[in-house]
Amino acid sequence: MRAGALGRALGEGAGALWTLALVLGGAAAMLSGLDALPGWLRGEPRGVRRVASVDEAERIMRSRILLPSYFPDSYRWPPSSIRVWREGGGAVALAFDARDGSPALLLAETVSGTGALTAPLLPDSAVIQKQGAALGEGATLSRIVSEDGTLWNELEWTAAGRRFVLRGRGPLDVLMRMARSIHGAGR
Amino acid sequence: MAAARWVDFAGQSILHTLVAALVIEALVRLWRVRQPEQRTGFRLLALAWPLLVVPALFFGFPERSDEAFQDARALFAARRWDELTLLGAGLDAWWLAGMVLLGVALFLMDLVPLLRSRAPLPPPFPLEAAAGAPARAREALAEAALALSLRAPPLAFVPEGPPLFYCTGARRPTVVVSRQAVDLLDPAELRCAFAHELSHLERRDPVLGWALMGARALLWFNPVVQILVRALARDSERLADERAALATGDRLALASGLLKLYRASEGRYALPARRNLPLSAALAAPIARARAHDIGLRCRALLDPAPARVRLSAFRFVALAAGLFLLLFFVV
Repeated sequence: MRAGALGRALGEGAGALWTLALVLGGAAAMLSGLDALPGWLRGEPRGVRRVASVDEAERIMRSRILLPSYFPDSYRWPPSSIRVWREGGGAVALAFDARDGSPALLLAETVSGTGALTAPLLPDSAVIQKQGAALGEGATLSRIVSEDGTLWNELEWTAAGRRFVLRGRGPLDVLMRMARSIHGAGR
Repeated sequence: MAAARWVDFAGQSILHTLVAALVIEALVRLWRVRQPEQRTGFRLLALAWPLLVVPALFFGFPERSDEAFQDARALFAARRWDELTLLGAGLDAWWLAGMVLLGVALFLMDLVPLLRSRAPLPPPFPLEAAAGAPARAREALAEAALALSLRAPPLAFVPEGPPLFYCTGARRPTVVVSRQAVDLLDPAELRCAFAHELSHLERRDPVLGWALMGARALLWFNPVVQILVRALARDSERLADERAALATGDRLALASGLLKLYRASEGRYALPARRNLPLSAALAAPIARARAHDIGLRCRALLDPAPARVRLSAFRFVALAAGLFLLLFFVV
């Protein structure tokens, strides 16, 4: 008799917990969806955040962002977009427009560590040619085709304990000079 | 504390209360919690959330406000909605502003009529000398007090005006009744109505009412709190109904008395005072409909047998509180 009552109570308790788990799970799923919605509407994956200025990006990442000390007049300053990603040690990507307003330059760098810089900060592209570059060991120069079919040059190298990617549509020598000036800044 | 911190606090308070209240309401239905006392217990948990848990989370775990927590660990970060803008302001800011406006409107809609209606009552008389009160009112009060094993409180009799039947007084509990209300009800209904009011006094509901008003004033910006307190007030009415029905053994008389008093008073006295407030004209009709719906639910509940208590309610309560804490810790 007592065992039967205990069994009923245990069954009822388990049922109550199951219902609780379902409701809390549903609430968690809804909150998670609401959290992802702004990024989805902007076409950005979760974890990527747009910020208004380099200062704000540095404050969020709690680290200096290394910038080229050579910055030709053919590009507009400030960056047209600054996106930060905190996962995997953190990374930041700065996009610059040309004087005519078209996308012209992208600088991405890790904040700590030398892991590869890939999506979600770098737009998808297809590599059509790759070779070594005079920017230290492991540096590469690639010719890539972006999603919209335009051709870009891409430099990728490691310096100061960070991984850098610099993509540009302009002349290669300008891109190299900008990349070297990031080293030369000594920050 | 900087203004931005207060805005964050208000945002979290509203969001947490909303999630807690929705989860609790869903579980109250799924667990079939129909007994008013148990419902009140669960709803008080939702009310305790912005009063106790949100401040504890906000000030006790400051790392939840860090960017790192919001980006990597939070299940939901309201800040992300600020990255979408409308007319130059983030959507999170718009949402918060709308909720605060709604909270203030709901609070004022009850506060202003309450302050305006504080007209002095006729002095309460001891039961033996309730001057002017019909004998049958005094008898019904005495019978109701006997049924509930209580000492009869002073009775305030209002000889003129609309039908009134309520209890009041945190320090000096009093039952107020008007001639029109006494004339409206038959002896059984009158006894049940007194039993209902005495049940309120037995549970010290007038004190609880002021405490809830204090909570509303403290969280004036939180519309979910304003709605929750109304739900708690409804639970308190249901609880008094059940207690009175149990004591008098006449559920039908209580239901018919309730219906008569509602029909005699609703729409003629309550609405005009509210029309002086912003949004009051637009909200008056839905509120009147909600009140009619609520009276209907109370009457229907009285036509059914007394609801049974769900078992393991303490276990359910603790599990729910723990689960909500785990969930909402990651909502910033």
